[in-house]
Amino acid sequence: MKMVASFQKLGPHRFIGHLDLQRAMQRALRRADIPVVYSQGFNPHLLLSFAAPLSVGIEGEHEVMELPLQNNITETEFVEKMNAVLPQGMKVVAAKLVTDDTAPAMARLAAAVYHISAENGFQALEAALPGFMNQSTIPYLKKTKSGERMDDFRPLVYNLTLKDGVLQAVLAITQQGTAKPDQLMGLLCAHAGMAVPRLSIKRARLLDERFAPLV
Amino acid sequence: MDTHNVQRLEALLETVQRPSRYTGGEVNAIVKEWKEGRTTFCFAFPDTYEVAMSHLGMKVIYAAVNREDDLLCERAMMPWVDLLEGLKKEKLPLFSLESRRALSDFDCVGFTLQYEMSYTNILTMLDLGGIALESKNRAEDAPIVIAGGPCAFNPEPLHSVIDAFLLGDGETATGELLRAIGKGRKEGKTRLEILRDLAKIEGVYVPALYEIIYKEDGTLASVTPSLPEARKPIKKRLELDLDAAFFPGETPLPFTEAVHDRIVLEVMRGCTRGCRFCQAGMLYRPVRERSVEKLVELAQSLFQSTGYEEMSLSSLSTGDYTQLLPLISSLNQNFEGKMVSLSLPSLRIDNQLQDALVDTAKVKKSGLTLAPEAGTQRLRDVINKGVTEEDLMRSVSEAFEAGWSQVKLYFMIGLPTETDEDLLGIADLARKVVGAYFALPKEKRAKGLKVVVSASTFVPKPFTPFQWAAQDTLEEIKRKQSLLRSALNIRGVTFNWHDPETSFLEACFARGDRKLAMVLLRAYELGCKLDGWNEHFKYDAWMQAFSDTGVDPAFYANRVREKSELLPWEIADIGVTKAYLWLENERALRGDITPDCRAGCEGCGLRRFDGVCPV
Repeated sequence: MKMVASFQKLGPHRFIGHLDLQRAMQRALRRADIPVVYSQGFNPHLLLSFAAPLSVGIEGEHEVMELPLQNNITETEFVEKMNAVLPQGMKVVAAKLVTDDTAPAMARLAAAVYHISAENGFQALEAALPGFMNQSTIPYLKKTKSGERMDDFRPLVYNLTLKDGVLQAVLAITQQGTAKPDQLMGLLCAHAGMAVPRLSIKRARLLDERFAPLV
Repeated sequence: MDTHNVQRLEALLETVQRPSRYTGGEVNAIVKEWKEGRTTFCFAFPDTYEVAMSHLGMKVIYAAVNREDDLLCERAMMPWVDLLEGLKKEKLPLFSLESRRALSDFDCVGFTLQYEMSYTNILTMLDLGGIALESKNRAEDAPIVIAGGPCAFNPEPLHSVIDAFLLGDGETATGELLRAIGKGRKEGKTRLEILRDLAKIEGVYVPALYEIIYKEDGTLASVTPSLPEARKPIKKRLELDLDAAFFPGETPLPFTEAVHDRIVLEVMRGCTRGCRFCQAGMLYRPVRERSVEKLVELAQSLFQSTGYEEMSLSSLSTGDYTQLLPLISSLNQNFEGKMVSLSLPSLRIDNQLQDALVDTAKVKKSGLTLAPEAGTQRLRDVINKGVTEEDLMRSVSEAFEAGWSQVKLYFMIGLPTETDEDLLGIADLARKVVGAYFALPKEKRAKGLKVVVSASTFVPKPFTPFQWAAQDTLEEIKRKQSLLRSALNIRGVTFNWHDPETSFLEACFARGDRKLAMVLLRAYELGCKLDGWNEHFKYDAWMQAFSDTGVDPAFYANRVREKSELLPWEIADIGVTKAYLWLENERALRGDITPDCRAGCEGCGLRRFDGVCPV
């Protein structure tokens, strides 16, 4: 069986880079005495994967990790043992046992929900939202390993809503294309003819292709 | 820090490299409430987070102080330049990781002095933390600034900056200092009264309580206590029973990788080999071992609290730990299946040990590191490094046979009596090591031979038999480096050397007197900081600081001292006597070796301390 679990990355933990997070989580699994699996070979490492790396500076409410288990442990036991050793702001929120043949969380991932707030609210942007979404294409400069090229951002934005002064954005994370919240804000503010304000961004959920939470 | 400042700091942190160095909140970090009657201490490490969090001493003191209900210890480190500039620009103070308070909010701020080149960082941290650089300018309610660690044994270059120094082991003494400060504060005592109380504690040096007179030639004439509390000499503090001495079972676990990011078990303190260049070997006598039971218990607790994948055994000479084999096998037994690798520092690889290592195969196969220190037997005898070429070649051959292909060899250049022949001996040794690799049949040797020869510049240190010696001039060091560079142009050999300018400054401060404090303050004004980091080291600014203050660096680095000279660090009594060091100096010049004193007392002077020496 495999355990798929969601966890927080809140407050100061938003500053932890992806490699550091991997190491921190591996050590937490070891402290919690979870029956983890190690790779074979000369330098065995603890098998653990994450659905999607989170950029430094962005908070996460339900980040997703996945690990094979050596022997069975209940979901409740997993959550309790992990939370006994994890710091505040990095707790496991939910866990689910799945069979080994279940597609990896990383492969099931299709979209993410971001909550974006600005220093002085989004009043100025509200009027621009429908116009932004009604564009048939939104050209943007895409940076890839091989260089830069123009591409269309519009298909990567599934939904934008403003609720209680917080912008909720559902953006694509797929093999074909990924929209990042800072890119979105750059394009949105340009459309509204304003400078990008200081933002605080939180990734609230990771979703599968049916827009259901991964865990 | 108030909410407004916290927000500005948060915004600033988003702009700097590796912000998780500054946020605290690590697993096992201890956040205690600031409440009435609790004395607050900020352990300030004058280097970056990655260096600080690799340092065992800080972890020990942090936990030792925090386990006391009436005391509290937080951490602060030297920020990297991006945050440093940001704090200045935003007019935000340097803060502690735990409660984000300015250094100036604490009752006491304590620096660890690991390396002379960190002294400008101390000034930077005080300045950013809102504390006056010099003791005499500090407000009555400003924190008492203390310092300890190996460089505290020559405290004089920092005499005007640090209010009180602690010489020797800090596990018990730190608490005594903090309680005296807390009590003084509660009773409304003045700074001077508090400092006088501190001076009564064994091992504490309060520089303001002594009068110093110099001779016309710049050497010391006299050091006289000006108040009855001031001790002379100051006997170092000692933790005699390491099993009883505090050692933490939980240490803060950094998110961002520290330089040494693993469980560190201090198996032993002190060393009796008597290498004549080695300051630690003299300072930390006598040898004290921790028991296998205690170490295994600590290892288990540290593993449970951190989940580390690696464990190392630390001491000045781990190969001399008498219970090494039982310890390794007990650790292996206890960590069966836990995937913890054991890394050992360079050891004499004798057969028994090798069997134990092969047996378990859990010891990480990193490269072999050996420190012959000098290239010829003659010079190795001068420095009393009890390693022969035969020992060395045996270790290297065994390592190659066991599947290693990387060897690091550490040397020093500029040792007393060194000739070009000794330097060429280094190349000769490197060539023999390469030869030992190719002597193995091709199918038996591991691929990728790499012999790294590192040569550091010798810095004569206080409390060593070479404390009277001159350091080679910069020109001479550079000539020697270039000689070695051409001699070491050997296939499979990489030669590493350092800019000698840093070692020259280190030599000035290592044996400096009170006049060096002026140079330090001036260098700070001229923008010197992070001197231990090559890209920030400003040699020209340092030379200007010397010339602006009228102090000659060569007087400290390149001068041979007379036997009769009163040395600035004689205020400290480390146990080993000046007479013994002089005897060792004479033996060195004759090339006579002194055996490890565990075979019989050599009369170093430690026996003057009652019941201290086990030999």
